Amino acid sequence: MITIIYRLIVALVIGLVGWNLFTEEKLTNQLNCAMVLIPLILRLLMIK
Amino acid sequence: MKEKKHLLTACLCLAASIAVCCITGANFLKARELPMPQNGPGVTEVKMLSDWFSGLKGTHADTPVYVLRGAEPGGTMLILGGTHGNEPSGYMSAFTFIENAVVDKGTVYVIPYTNRSGMTHNDPGEGNMQYFTLQTQSGPRTFRFGSRATNPIDQWPDPDVYVHYPSGQKLSGSETRNINRAYPGRPDGNLTEKAAYGVAELIRTENIGLTFDLHEASPEYPVINATVAHQDAMPIASEGCISLLLNGIEMSLEQSPTNFHGLTHRELGDYTDTMAILMETANASQGRLRGATSQRQVMGGQDKCYELSERLGMLYVPWTVNGILGHPIEERCGRHLQGIKEYSTAYSNANPDKPIVYRGVPGYAELFLNADPTYLGGSILGSYLK
Repeated sequence: MITIIYRLIVALVIGLVGWNLFTEEKLTNQLNCAMVLIPLILRLLMIK
Repeated sequence: MKEKKHLLTACLCLAASIAVCCITGANFLKARELPMPQNGPGVTEVKMLSDWFSGLKGTHADTPVYVLRGAEPGGTMLILGGTHGNEPSGYMSAFTFIENAVVDKGTVYVIPYTNRSGMTHNDPGEGNMQYFTLQTQSGPRTFRFGSRATNPIDQWPDPDVYVHYPSGQKLSGSETRNINRAYPGRPDGNLTEKAAYGVAELIRTENIGLTFDLHEASPEYPVINATVAHQDAMPIASEGCISLLLNGIEMSLEQSPTNFHGLTHRELGDYTDTMAILMETANASQGRLRGATSQRQVMGGQDKCYELSERLGMLYVPWTVNGILGHPIEERCGRHLQGIKEYSTAYSNANPDKPIVYRGVPGYAELFLNADPTYLGGSILGSYLK
């Protein structure tokens, strides 16, 4: 159960970061978003 | 125009993220496919730990158990390698035993990856490598370098404080994924406790008389080049230790402390009828004083920082053994395999109705003392692997 809750939270954060990625106009901030997404995606898929 | 530009860069950034996820994800998933020992001439059966405790079936803690049954009946012995995945001489000794031993009397069980889940990841924060390669009889062969603890993908979250079952002893939260703090385990516990319970069930079901747990530790750790034995195993451990000393192997012997719980040498002795023995060798790649982690350090056992540390009197083991600098993998595996040989001989002497007799396994002399020093650091060990 705790894993499901955790993954839902991770999915929510991925959605918010992804939203920022597409609304952000500065390239450096977009790059930050892209880097933050990597560990979150791997955690959501329970790979790492 | 400006909006189109930032949408385009967002798409490029997202594509780059997904590409990195794919590459690293494939790498992490591949780490779950572990290199296994080749069946040697003495292997009669390969089972899974879940054959003794079904609660492990389908989990990453279920691990192969190699059975080497002798032509004549005798005693039973269990060798635990890979309790800690960042201590390669433990599982490499198990590999060497499986691929070379021929058992004449009794039965030997060998688990190369006792904490199989711990082998499926590593500790990048420690600068640890994922793999190392040895030149073997069949050519280059790649082996995993794992972690001390169960993969957090398989068991999480860690509690703030780990309370050992059944003693109630409190330890750091991260120790909840350390199988050598989980014995005797429990069938309804966390994954690490279940794996420990599986090992204890194997020992109880097969009436294992003698159990070895093979470890390594940093050269600045006091319990090193050492054997720790449960009080029931002290008579045979004493005899075996004297034989090792007569063979020129420095080995100290300690009795398992009664108030330090969860370890093989304490709990397997208390909760089963086996004689539990743990051995430690010196692994430079585990120490706090080391330099950059590399294959030369892990396999060759050499490190300039430790050379300096010895001169400063900070180590518990000599840094030059038999004229060889450092502690190459052959010296570490040789200690383990010679230790198994001497302690099992002492066991057979004490139990003439349950002898354990085997041959074909290289010892300290073959792997280290009589070896060409220029080939130490993996090549000599590799020559005994298929």
